[in-house]
Amino acid sequence: MFKALDPILHSQLRLAVVSLLISVKEAEFTYLKEKTGATAGNLSVQLGKLKDAGYIDIHKQFKDNYPLTLCKITKKGVDAFEQYVKALQTYMKPDATE
Amino acid sequence: MEKKELTQQQSLALINTMIHKARESYGDTGRDSIMWGVVITICSLVKFCEIQFGFKLPFDIYLLTIVAAIFQVVMAIKDGKKSKVKKYDDAFLSPAWIGFGVCIGLLIHIINLLYINYMPMYNEYVNVTGHKPAFNLGEYITPLFLMLYGLPTFITGMGCNFKPMLIGSIICWLCCIITVYTNYKADLLLTALSAIVAWFIPGLWMLSTYKKHKKSQEVLNV
Repeated sequence: MFKALDPILHSQLRLAVVSLLISVKEAEFTYLKEKTGATAGNLSVQLGKLKDAGYIDIHKQFKDNYPLTLCKITKKGVDAFEQYVKALQTYMKPDATE
Repeated sequence: MEKKELTQQQSLALINTMIHKARESYGDTGRDSIMWGVVITICSLVKFCEIQFGFKLPFDIYLLTIVAAIFQVVMAIKDGKKSKVKKYDDAFLSPAWIGFGVCIGLLIHIINLLYINYMPMYNEYVNVTGHKPAFNLGEYITPLFLMLYGLPTFITGMGCNFKPMLIGSIICWLCCIITVYTNYKADLLLTALSAIVAWFIPGLWMLSTYKKHKKSQEVLNV
């Protein structure tokens, strides 16, 4: 039986962001932009969607007088990511197509 | 990154690539570990040579550790400013090594105080009896340092599941026991051995892993 894939995570940029955030405790916006190769505008929109879903926390502060956006995955985000990977694995199993 | 529908294979490949990219960005180059391995080994071996071959440098070779500590602090501040991510490991690694640095500083201070009080008694004993006392304070100093060297190395080895440092920490503690029973010259050689095994070799290991990882990422990106 196929598990439904989480529509929030089943998007290239959002999945890339969550995969990055799962590996670190906290990351700056510029780091995510650099690693995903996304534009600032698109990344902002996708981060907003992940935040609305409760998958990430976004914290804004100042560093050397410059605005700094920090992103961190939440417990709900970690659980959703794990479920997403499990669901993907059911698709990949050879007997899943039978 | 384009907006497109992902297949299952593409999803897994993307997760894999991003996790690798994240790892690459915070991979340790082993710089500090190699530096301390080299510094402590040099200090111990130079001190050993001073005793063995009867010469004396115009300065205390252990002053090199202060230079290394300043260099490390400056680089840590620089790295901290450049870093765009916080690792999970930072929560226990930084406190363990900062605490280690503080303990080493305190130990040096306590030993200096002990020597200030011990040396007049030692000299008086030699003047009165004409021979050195059986108890030599200097021979019990090295085990204290080796005991401390092992602690943050052990925490790093266990916490990061990094076997070379775990083995290094055990060797530090074994050398700690041995140096209780050996003379000062042997203590210095065992200190050099501990520094090589606990820091220098794991540092080279980290550097090699970091380089390999960077190379594989370059291949993936092509």
